[in-house]
Amino acid sequence: MSEDLLTVQGLQAYYQMNYFGVRREVRAVEDITMSVRRNEVYGIAGESSSGKTSFIKVLAAAIRPPLRIIEGSVRYNFDGLSVDVAQAGKAQIEAIRWRHLSYIMQGSMSVLNPVRRIGRIFEDYASRPLELTGEALRERVVAHLGRLKLGPEVLSAYPHELSGGMRQRVTIGLATVCHPQFIIADEPTTALDVVVQKEVLGLIREIQQEMGSSVVFVTHDMSVHANIADRVGIIYAGRLVEEGPTRQMFFAPKHPYTAHLVASLPRIGDTMQRPALEGRPPNLAEPPSGCRFNPRCPLAVDKCRQEAPPLETVAPDHRTACWRWRDVAPLVQPAVKLWERA
Amino acid sequence: MFAVLRDLIRYNIEFAVGLVLVGIIVLYACLSFFSPVDPTQIYLSIPDQPPSAQYWFGTNSRGQDMFWNLSFAFRNTLIFGLIVAAISRVISITVGLLSGYLGGWVDRVLMFINDIFVAVPSFPVLVLFYFVLRSGLNTYSLAAVMAVLGWAYDARLIRSVTLSLKHREFTLHARYSGMSTPKILLQEHLPYVMPIIFATAMANMIWSIGMEVTLAVLGFTNINIPTVGTTLYWANNHSAMVVGTWWWLVIPVVLIVITFIGLFLLAVSLNEYIDPRSRLRRMGA
Repeated sequence: MSEDLLTVQGLQAYYQMNYFGVRREVRAVEDITMSVRRNEVYGIAGESSSGKTSFIKVLAAAIRPPLRIIEGSVRYNFDGLSVDVAQAGKAQIEAIRWRHLSYIMQGSMSVLNPVRRIGRIFEDYASRPLELTGEALRERVVAHLGRLKLGPEVLSAYPHELSGGMRQRVTIGLATVCHPQFIIADEPTTALDVVVQKEVLGLIREIQQEMGSSVVFVTHDMSVHANIADRVGIIYAGRLVEEGPTRQMFFAPKHPYTAHLVASLPRIGDTMQRPALEGRPPNLAEPPSGCRFNPRCPLAVDKCRQEAPPLETVAPDHRTACWRWRDVAPLVQPAVKLWERA
Repeated sequence: MFAVLRDLIRYNIEFAVGLVLVGIIVLYACLSFFSPVDPTQIYLSIPDQPPSAQYWFGTNSRGQDMFWNLSFAFRNTLIFGLIVAAISRVISITVGLLSGYLGGWVDRVLMFINDIFVAVPSFPVLVLFYFVLRSGLNTYSLAAVMAVLGWAYDARLIRSVTLSLKHREFTLHARYSGMSTPKILLQEHLPYVMPIIFATAMANMIWSIGMEVTLAVLGFTNINIPTVGTTLYWANNHSAMVVGTWWWLVIPVVLIVITFIGLFLLAVSLNEYIDPRSRLRRMGA
């Protein structure tokens, strides 16, 4: 493929607050450089308060004060339309949102207005970007719902009349009815049980392949990433610490944090005690010096405390930000062995 | 629309009863259009007649047939209550939605004005209006004044609901998909606050009718226009209870109580219908 659909260059986005003259700055996104190709699912993982939500807010062009882009660019290359979110005006952003760039939000329970019928919700959201109304819009929506295995009778239902899985499918339908080229999915499976989760994941994958769009999939659940993502990026304390093809990330991680995430995954028939990672995620208002993972890292040396490691390419398509990436392998050995046996 | 009405009557006993009660009062008020007598004229019939076949509600000490007189009174009172409720609802919805959703300086300015209206005591203001306008204070001008005085509490209520709706996901979703602010307010938030609007409209009607009765009983309105309040004023003036013309007081009071109960039942059952979650429970689905 020609150019990547999304290119993020040296992105820094901070929350800047000014309460009664006291300036506070939370460095939620610190120097992230990554790209998302056409027709791929890119998984973003990270624990709570790691800055992943702020990052996808920037990606979704939904930046509102106090969050600000300090530096860097977020460039989308839609077919025949190139937009840099960091510089684009309001009108330009509104033109791409929902039409080209859409967002599956967290929590299907509250995404749908409880007092409006599903059909009206589709009208509200999709009629402007699709430039369709009335019967034409209805036909388009019914066809799209059919793809999601939902009948047209859903349109006259209220959200509370649908099951959790159906509601989540409706939310996915809302986000994809305009055939966007880029979809951001923010923990779309969090509130669902595993059976429905599997169905929803399959659906997202199916729709993505059918429309040839790219998906950025955000969740802290590594097993979901293993299922759906082509590539996975790990965010820790506002930085992208490792990025690579999903298989490699699980079998041969090159960052101690990823290694811990992978090692903590439970497997069937395995009674091994999982080691918990010491400490807590750092406060982004005062991040530790050097590598931000150093206070919790079992491999940390003096260099890690003084100098932040850059993202370096360690294998084709695989980048990591760790000074000691060569020594990471033993950390995951026991887990990977078990996995291979299974 | 017809099917909705039929279902409501079938499944919702409150609605059916409320509809019947309000229907009776409205029909009765509409009879005034066919009245054979002029309600402002006095001594057209024999005074102080108890209810009988000829005078269904009796006659008062001023020689008026109470049946036709009260029919005019209820027409005026209902129109008055509806006008106050309608105008003050428009103000409080507009102020509440805008101030809750837009926030910032819009919110501060609107709530500043709002708090002034909450703090100002309405009764002395109304008395003041009577002394300034005198006979100019008819049903419509009084309704306008009361509407302007009666929106502030409900605007605050609607604002508080909108404040919470503003941060719900569906609002974020709507904004993200590019819906304009007026559209979000009218299509996403207005249906949500509709039950509050009905409930407060009801309370507002009761408040305004009660206030009108208070003013009229004290003689601070145009006492020649028959309303429920002026009826009580004249009954009081002629010492109806002492003289023994009890029907002059009892009948309007019974009718106004029927009106209030009917309106209350309608408001309650409509609320239940408007909220799709409770509608189903009622239908047994």
